[in-house]
Amino acid sequence: MASVSFRKIEKSFGKVKIIHGISFDITDGEFVVLVGPSGCGKSTLLRMLAGLEEISGGEIAIDDKVINELDSKDRDIAMVFQSYALYPHMTVRENMAFSLKLRKADAALTNQRVGDAARILNMEPLLERYPRELSGGQRQRVAMGRAIVRDPKVFLFDEPLSNLDAKLRVAMRAEIKALHQRLKTTTVYVTHDQIEAMTMADRIVVMRDGIIEQIGAPLELFDRPDNLFVAQFIGSPSMNVLKGTLRQADGRAWVESQGHAWPVDTLTQAHDGQTVVYGVRPTDMNVSATGQGIPAKVIVVEPTGAETELLLEVGETQVIVVMHGRISVQPDDIVHLEIAQAKVHVFDDASGQRLE
Amino acid sequence: MKRITWKMVSTEAKLLLIGIPVLLWTIIPIYHMVLFSISPRDQATSGRLWPKEPTLNNFRLVFEQKHFYLDYFWVQLGNSLVIALSVGALTLAVSTAAAFAISRLKVRGGRTVMNLALFTYFIPAAFLAVPMYKTMSNYGLLNSQWSLILAMVTIASPYCIWVLKQASDKLPLELDEAAKMDGATALQLFRLVYLPLMVPSLVAVGTYALLLAWNEYLYAFLLLSKASSVTLAVALGNFVAADDSPWELLMTTGLIYALPPAAIYYTFKRYMVAGLTAGAVKS
Repeated sequence: MASVSFRKIEKSFGKVKIIHGISFDITDGEFVVLVGPSGCGKSTLLRMLAGLEEISGGEIAIDDKVINELDSKDRDIAMVFQSYALYPHMTVRENMAFSLKLRKADAALTNQRVGDAARILNMEPLLERYPRELSGGQRQRVAMGRAIVRDPKVFLFDEPLSNLDAKLRVAMRAEIKALHQRLKTTTVYVTHDQIEAMTMADRIVVMRDGIIEQIGAPLELFDRPDNLFVAQFIGSPSMNVLKGTLRQADGRAWVESQGHAWPVDTLTQAHDGQTVVYGVRPTDMNVSATGQGIPAKVIVVEPTGAETELLLEVGETQVIVVMHGRISVQPDDIVHLEIAQAKVHVFDDASGQRLE
Repeated sequence: MKRITWKMVSTEAKLLLIGIPVLLWTIIPIYHMVLFSISPRDQATSGRLWPKEPTLNNFRLVFEQKHFYLDYFWVQLGNSLVIALSVGALTLAVSTAAAFAISRLKVRGGRTVMNLALFTYFIPAAFLAVPMYKTMSNYGLLNSQWSLILAMVTIASPYCIWVLKQASDKLPLELDEAAKMDGATALQLFRLVYLPLMVPSLVAVGTYALLLAWNEYLYAFLLLSKASSVTLAVALGNFVAADDSPWELLMTTGLIYALPPAAIYYTFKRYMVAGLTAGAVKS
């Protein structure tokens, strides 16, 4: 149980700087997910915390104790790797007991810890097997077991589910979350999958090009993205964006784009005639065959059972709408878009920052 | 079942046309050796395909050291064995440690050291024989078996380091990182994780060095001279020093000398192929 602080962390490989002064705090017992496209520095940040990469600038502290110069083994953290990194020549039991063996823990304690971890992860029958005899999900569980046995201050996960198939990934996701709820150990989890981030995190740190774009609870990021990048990165299918001109007059506001007026609430941080990006999530729109709204042509209809995803053409651009239930439209039909005005996002075109 | 076509027959014939001469080329010297070793002295060079009175008497003569060329047979066989095993063990120790340092610990300049070592192969070993002789004499090691052991370790190591380095590059780096996180020191990592995973390559490399030393003639001939300290390979060479060489005994001893390598090769064949080719291709 511990808090973690990143203070102005920088990282360079040679002359190339890839992390540019990152600061944030993780409170005791929190589940924080670092998310971002590949190359954004999230794994490097995690590896610096783990002690596997040198810190070029700034400080990392665990429980207010700066650990920059401390060896990995003295930081009291455990890590689960994407490739599992199980020792192929050791049984599951030996894999899990390895760290205790190195610490010369006595046999009784080792057995008890390994037994407890195996029970938590439901893999008592697998203890005498070798990693090559296990499925991907089981291997991942052993890797987690190896971390649990240590009873560390902080758990680190580096894209642990990337090697699993889609169905197993969902199951393991729930398992890791349940594990955290049970053990309440501070956890830092790296992924490029925003769904993983949304479903598991207490707080998400969205990174891009070595800087933090936004930190917040999953729904906070979803509802109020600070900038266009976060808006498009979080949420699936991602947010529809249209470039246009903001018009505000007589207490009314709209964005002119693709020859139509897109409704928005009045903005205080913007002025009439400003070039903006209009963003609306696929779930915040509705289509109707007749009536009001912006006319759009149906291109593709994708029913998934509970939902129907529509690809529509408006002017020269395309938008995606996700509707609950099933609707009866055909390609080439003309439908009308009704937009939940309160849920619309507007961003400055030049800076990409959110406008209120 | 597929029908046999002319094309298949001609392909097969072409392969046989290459295969049969190669087989003969390989087998005839061995056949000769066996033939000599089971022939009585006066029939050894008779030119027959099979001796009139095959005998194992030559083997008895060799084992009982009943010829002045064979006075030290057992001692020399022992020398060969001690030297080969020492070279195998020392080469393994040196090259495993070097490969681990270069490939896993990423020691600065490690690759350069390895490339410099490999560079020595551009100079034929025969050219290095005289400098090596001079060096050993400077250290006062001439006539000591250490001189041959050290020379052979020097010759075998660069290749072994390279093979082991290529093989260890294939071990995922995450294993080292996981061990590091688990609290392993570099030595514990080496002993508990690296060595067990490298076993196939280690067997291959160890066998290679062992056989290289076992089969060595030139260096053994140069560095050792006392009859009681030379290897059997050198002793075999001495057989042809006289005009009336006992050919049948030479061949018998040669046959005996060839058996351990063959046995070793067949025992570790599986590892040899897997281990030596593992490092062959950079992937």
